[in-house]
Amino acid sequence: MSDLGSIAILLSFFITIYSLFACAVAARTGSRAFAQSGGNGIVSLAFLLLVAVCCLVYELVTLDFSLRYVALNTSTDLPVIYRVTALWAGQAGSLLLWSFILSLYMAFVVLRNRKKGGDPYVNIVLCAVSLFFLFLIAYVEDPFEKLGVAVGEGRGLNPILQNGYMAIHPVTLYVGYVGITVPFAFGIAALLSGRLGDEWIRNCRKYALFSWMFLSAGLLLGARWAYLELGWGGYWAWDPVENAAFMPWLAGTAFLHSVMIQERKAMLKKWNMILLIITFFLSIFGTFITRSGIVSSVHSFARSDIGPLFLGFMVLILLFSFALLIYRSKELESEERFDSVLSRESAFLFNNLLFLAAAFSVFLGTIFPVLSEAFTGKKILVGPPYFNAVGVPIGLVLILLMGIGPLISWKKASTANLKRNFVFPGVVFAAVLLALLVFGLREPVALLSFALCGFVAATVFLEYFRGIRVRSSRGENPVSAFFNLVSRNRRRYGGYIVHLGVVLLVIGITASSLFVTQKEVVLGKGDSFSLGRYDLVFRGVNYISNDAKDGFSAELSIENNGRSVATMYPEKNIYKYEGNREINQETEVALRSTFRDDLYLILSEVGGGGKVNIRALLNPMVNWIWAGGFVIVLGAIVTMWPEGRRKKESSA
Amino acid sequence: MKGKLKFILPLVVIVSLISWLVFAGVKDSMVYYITVDELLEDVPDIYGQKVRVSGTVVHGSIKNELDDSLRFTIADGKGEIDVEYDGIIPDIFTDGVEAVVEGKFSAGNVFEADLLLAKCPTKYESEEVPYQRKEG
Repeated sequence: MSDLGSIAILLSFFITIYSLFACAVAARTGSRAFAQSGGNGIVSLAFLLLVAVCCLVYELVTLDFSLRYVALNTSTDLPVIYRVTALWAGQAGSLLLWSFILSLYMAFVVLRNRKKGGDPYVNIVLCAVSLFFLFLIAYVEDPFEKLGVAVGEGRGLNPILQNGYMAIHPVTLYVGYVGITVPFAFGIAALLSGRLGDEWIRNCRKYALFSWMFLSAGLLLGARWAYLELGWGGYWAWDPVENAAFMPWLAGTAFLHSVMIQERKAMLKKWNMILLIITFFLSIFGTFITRSGIVSSVHSFARSDIGPLFLGFMVLILLFSFALLIYRSKELESEERFDSVLSRESAFLFNNLLFLAAAFSVFLGTIFPVLSEAFTGKKILVGPPYFNAVGVPIGLVLILLMGIGPLISWKKASTANLKRNFVFPGVVFAAVLLALLVFGLREPVALLSFALCGFVAATVFLEYFRGIRVRSSRGENPVSAFFNLVSRNRRRYGGYIVHLGVVLLVIGITASSLFVTQKEVVLGKGDSFSLGRYDLVFRGVNYISNDAKDGFSAELSIENNGRSVATMYPEKNIYKYEGNREINQETEVALRSTFRDDLYLILSEVGGGGKVNIRALLNPMVNWIWAGGFVIVLGAIVTMWPEGRRKKESSA
Repeated sequence: MKGKLKFILPLVVIVSLISWLVFAGVKDSMVYYITVDELLEDVPDIYGQKVRVSGTVVHGSIKNELDDSLRFTIADGKGEIDVEYDGIIPDIFTDGVEAVVEGKFSAGNVFEADLLLAKCPTKYESEEVPYQRKEG
C-alpha cells in the first residue's frame, strides 16, 4: 500500500504541473480544450490524493512499522481511532492532509463550473499553491518514507493528543486554513486577468465565509482541548501556535466585512485585495509557525527543516501578489468616496483598521523573540500581559463598532437617524452598567465589556424586532414573520446571529478571565474545604489499573449549600507503555460545568498516607464561550445557506 | 481636500493610539530569554530582574513534597541553578527534560519561578534515532 501511496503523490505532483501549464495556455489563448483538460487534471488530483490519504491511513491502522511515519506516531497499544488521527499528528501526514483538503476545494471549484473546466486564472493560482505542498510531500517530507529496518514497536502517540477533541480540532482548523486559498485564488485571478469587477468578490464570498466558519470552530475546539487536557485551568495562553490560527481569523474577519463595502459602494477595492493577500499570507505563516518550530511553543510537537522552504514560499507570495496589485492599481480606483465620519462606511473602515491592527500586534508579539534576536542579539519575549494590554482595548472598541455598524446609516448619519437607532441600545448599555454597579461589580474592564455586550445584543434585538414588526403589520404571524425575515435576507440576519454568538463569547471570556477563584490545598481523608459556593470533601484515593495505565484518582464529594451535587474524580495516570518514555504521565482534570461556573479540579500530587495535593479552580461562565461558538457557526450557516432553495420548496 | 482630512485625522489618532498600546505593552511585559550560564554571568545585576531561563533538569534533583513548593535544579553547560516553583507542573516535567522557567533570581541564589514549561526532546522529528528498538 505504501508504494501505491508514493506513486499517487508523485503522479499528483506531475499532474498539478501539467494542469498549471494547461490552464496557463488556456488563459493566454482562450482555448477551451486546454481549460477543460487543466480542470480534469485538478479533479484527478483530488482522486489521487484521496488514494494517498487512504493508503497512509491503512498503513497507520495496520501498524506497518517499516514506515518511518507509522513508527513515529503509533504503537500497538493505540486504539484504532487514534491510529487514524495519527494522520495529522506528525509533519508529513499533516502536509498530506493540507494538500488533500486543498485538492478537494480545487475539485469543487472546478466542478461548479464544469462546462468550462473552471476559470483558468483561478486554477493557475490554486495549482501553484498546491504545487508547493505537493513538492514538500513528494521530495522533502515523504509520508511513505521507509525505514532501513522495520522496528518491532512504534513510538506511540503523545497521551495528551489522545483526546476526542484532538480527533476533530486539527481537521476543522485545516479546513479553515486551507480554504482561505480559494478566495485568494479568485482575487489573484482577478488581478491576473484584469477582470476586476465585482464578479470575483461574489464568487469567492461564500468560500471565505466557509473557511472563516471552520477557522472559528477550529480555534474554539482547540481552546476546549487545551482547557480539558493541558490541565492548567485556562483555554487560551497566547501561545505562538494558538496565535498562528488566530491571525488569519482576524484578517479574514476584516475581509468578510469590507467586501460588503465593495459590493455596495464599489469602494475599498485595493484594500480588499490587500486584506485577502494578508489573510492568505497569515494562513501560510501559521502553518509555517506550527510546522517549523521557529518560535518555541508548548504545542510544537514537531520540528524540522522545511522552515527555509516555507520562508521562501511566503516571500514569493508577498512579492508576487503585491507586484501584481501595484501593476493593476490604476484600475482599482474607488468609484465613490467617503462622505462622513459618521456613516456605516466609516464604521466598517474603522472595524477593518482595528482588526488589522489586532492581527499586526499578535504577529509582532509572536515573532518578537525572533526579531529581537536578529536585531539586538538577545532573545526577548513578550508574554500574555502584552497581548492582553493591546488586545483588550482593541477588542472593546470592536464590540462597540459591532453595535454601531448595523444601525448607522450609509453615507452620512443624520441626528434623526442616530436618535432613532441608538436610544434603545444606549439605554440598555446604561441599564447593564447600573445593574452591575448595584450588584457590586467594580472591575472597569468587566463593566465596560458587559455593558457593551448589552449594547450589541440590543442592536441585534432591535433589528429583528423592526423586521418582524413590518412583516406582522402585513398580517403574518410573528413566528413565520421571523423565519421569513431571516430566509429572505440571510446574509444580514445570519450576520446578526454571528454577532450574538460573539456577544456570548465575549461575556464568557470576560467573566472567566477576570473572576477566577483558585485554591491549592493538601487534604487527608475526610478533610474539606470550600471554594465559592461549593464545599468539597475529600473521600480518599482510589487506585486504578488497566492494560494501558496505572493511576490514582482522588474522590471528592461536592456540596452546594449542604446539598450534595456531584462526586468528582481528578486523576493522575502513568502510562505503562514505554515507547513514549518522556511523556508517560498524564494529569486528567475533573470538571463540573454549568452556565454559571466550572468547577475544575486538578490532582497535583499524591503523597504518602493517602494525602493529596489538589488545585481547585472556579472559572465563571466558561460554558458561554462554547455556546457562543455554536451560535457563531449557526449564524454562519444561515448566512451561507443557498438562496433559491426556498423558492423551489414553495413552488413544489 | 477637507473631506479627506476628516478621515485622516481620526486615522492618525487611532494608529498612534495603537502604536502606543503596542509600545507600552512590549515595554511592560518584555522578558529576556537567557541560558543558565548567561544568568550566572550577570550576578549580581540580575537579582530581582524578571527573566526566562532554560536548562536541562538535573537527574535526581526534583523534590516535590505535598505541602511545599517544587524544587529542582537546571543546568546547561557549566553552571546550574536551583529553582523553586509553586504552580501547575506540566505532565512531561521529569528528570532530564528541557525546562523553561520564568521568574526572578533572588539574592539567596534561588530562582523563584512563577512559570514552568517543559519541552519534550524526543518528539522532534529531525532527530537521528527517533525511537527505541524493543526486543520481541
